[in-house]
Amino acid sequence: MDRLPAAGDDNRATTAFVIEFKNVGKTYKSLLGNSVKAVEEFSLVVGEGEILGIAGPNGAGKTTLIAMMLGYLRPTTGTVEIGGLPARHYVERSGIGYLSELIAINPKWRAQTALVRYATLAGISDAEIPRRVDYVVDLLGLTEHRDKKVKALSKGNLQRLGLAQALLRDEQILVLDEPTHGLDPVWTQRFRDIVDELRRPQRTMVIASHNLDELQRLADRVAIIDRGRLQRLVSTGYEHAAPAATRFRVTLASGYDLIRAAFPQAEDVGRGEYDVTVHSIQELNAALADLIAKGALVASVVPERSVLEQQFREAVGESQ
Amino acid sequence: MNRGRLARYSLWQFRDFVMDRGIGIVIIGFLWGYVMFEPIRRAMGGQWIGDQTSPVWGLVLQVASAVASLSVLIAMNGLISIDRKNGYYRFLFSKPVNPVAYYAQLFVVYGVGVLAAMVVLASLARIIFPIFSIVNFLIYSAVIYVAMGGIGFFLSVATRYDWLTLAAVWLGSRVLRGVYGPKGDWRSKVVELLPPVHKLDQVANSLIATGRADAGDVVWLIGYGALFFALGLFILRRGSLADQ
Repeated sequence: MDRLPAAGDDNRATTAFVIEFKNVGKTYKSLLGNSVKAVEEFSLVVGEGEILGIAGPNGAGKTTLIAMMLGYLRPTTGTVEIGGLPARHYVERSGIGYLSELIAINPKWRAQTALVRYATLAGISDAEIPRRVDYVVDLLGLTEHRDKKVKALSKGNLQRLGLAQALLRDEQILVLDEPTHGLDPVWTQRFRDIVDELRRPQRTMVIASHNLDELQRLADRVAIIDRGRLQRLVSTGYEHAAPAATRFRVTLASGYDLIRAAFPQAEDVGRGEYDVTVHSIQELNAALADLIAKGALVASVVPERSVLEQQFREAVGESQ
Repeated sequence: MNRGRLARYSLWQFRDFVMDRGIGIVIIGFLWGYVMFEPIRRAMGGQWIGDQTSPVWGLVLQVASAVASLSVLIAMNGLISIDRKNGYYRFLFSKPVNPVAYYAQLFVVYGVGVLAAMVVLASLARIIFPIFSIVNFLIYSAVIYVAMGGIGFFLSVATRYDWLTLAAVWLGSRVLRGVYGPKGDWRSKVVELLPPVHKLDQVANSLIATGRADAGDVVWLIGYGALFFALGLFILRRGSLADQ
């Protein structure tokens, strides 16, 4: 993917783009005086160049956090700052690439028109707008849909249009709320490739998703939130894998009778597949090496749960 | 830092006004005038006089005033509340744009749109009433746009049901002032705080007919609307865009 030249790239280099939540709380009050705490005592710093995932069950407070990050909601307590500025000031000064969970674009607009409008608001010059619009239309595969009205777009195409408007400028901060919601498997994979391409040392991304597998693949760290609180902050790399017992499914192409020599507790689940439990990555590798050395042919080794999924279940509870 | 091109975006805002409201205002205004005056003109035949001595001149002033009020009501309908209710604000204001400046500009652009629609309608009115002054009607329309539109702007920031509330406030003020205004007790003082709709008829008749009106009344009307417009901007700045 070609890098889109950034509007105002030159004067951004010296600014530290860091998102900081300082003891943030948000309480909604009804007219009857009932109050609901959507977010409580939430503190977190997102570093420059980092991709932070936000995971949590429905109603955990993810969307409220993002609304406060964009300055659409004022925290009841605490502050949200971006690059040292109050969040809303930062957005009004520099803009943020934002994809909301609900894609709300005037249904009467045409896809192309919507992008031109957003590009104008984003500060892109008239001369540059056609090039940038063409770029995102091509990137998101919207060429055949560009003249359609927004109301005529399918859920997946609407999602892609939402992503396209977020990528019109080469923003330093991208906030994507449920970015693959409604996308088919092909575009889900394509989206992951796009996010990989968007990764830059100075670009910070925040991705909220229900899809733990997606966050495991894309994010550097994942904030697991539940009931409005930060429950756990998880690094997604396997080098950080917890030493607790972990189950893997090992599939053999041959040498089925050798499995118990390497994994005495292996459970046969049929078709050459075995569930094994190990206490560390080292133990797994040693046992696999032994198995292969004895002549077995290993087809695949898949963790029953990713590091993130394990942490999520522990943090939120098995019932979720 | 790379600010959004808000001034350039005003062309889109004007286009939205024309497509979503302006054409409708012109059609409604035309039909209203046509249905009201064409049968009279046909019935009167050669006796039809298109000047201020015409027996229907008073009716012309009333219809013109009502069309201007209705146009402002249509223009203000959902000016801000629709963006918040439907969530359109999310993508609009993730760009480097100040919502206060965006909606202040929208108010001005829609005002220009209302005046443009009034030019069309006034031009049509002049066909059967050659003495109908386009300039006078535009001055009146501008006054009522600020007076009524300023309150409408505030209500669109403060509530989802803005046009309904604006109509209720406008009519309610008229009724309450009519009932309690002349009593001379504490209630007449309270209703003084309501929108100065009682001044409208006089200002309308005077401004549309002669281009002149009591300066105090005009200042009171414009000041009231401008105050609420400023209050709307203040709430927009201090409040939350997200309608949760």
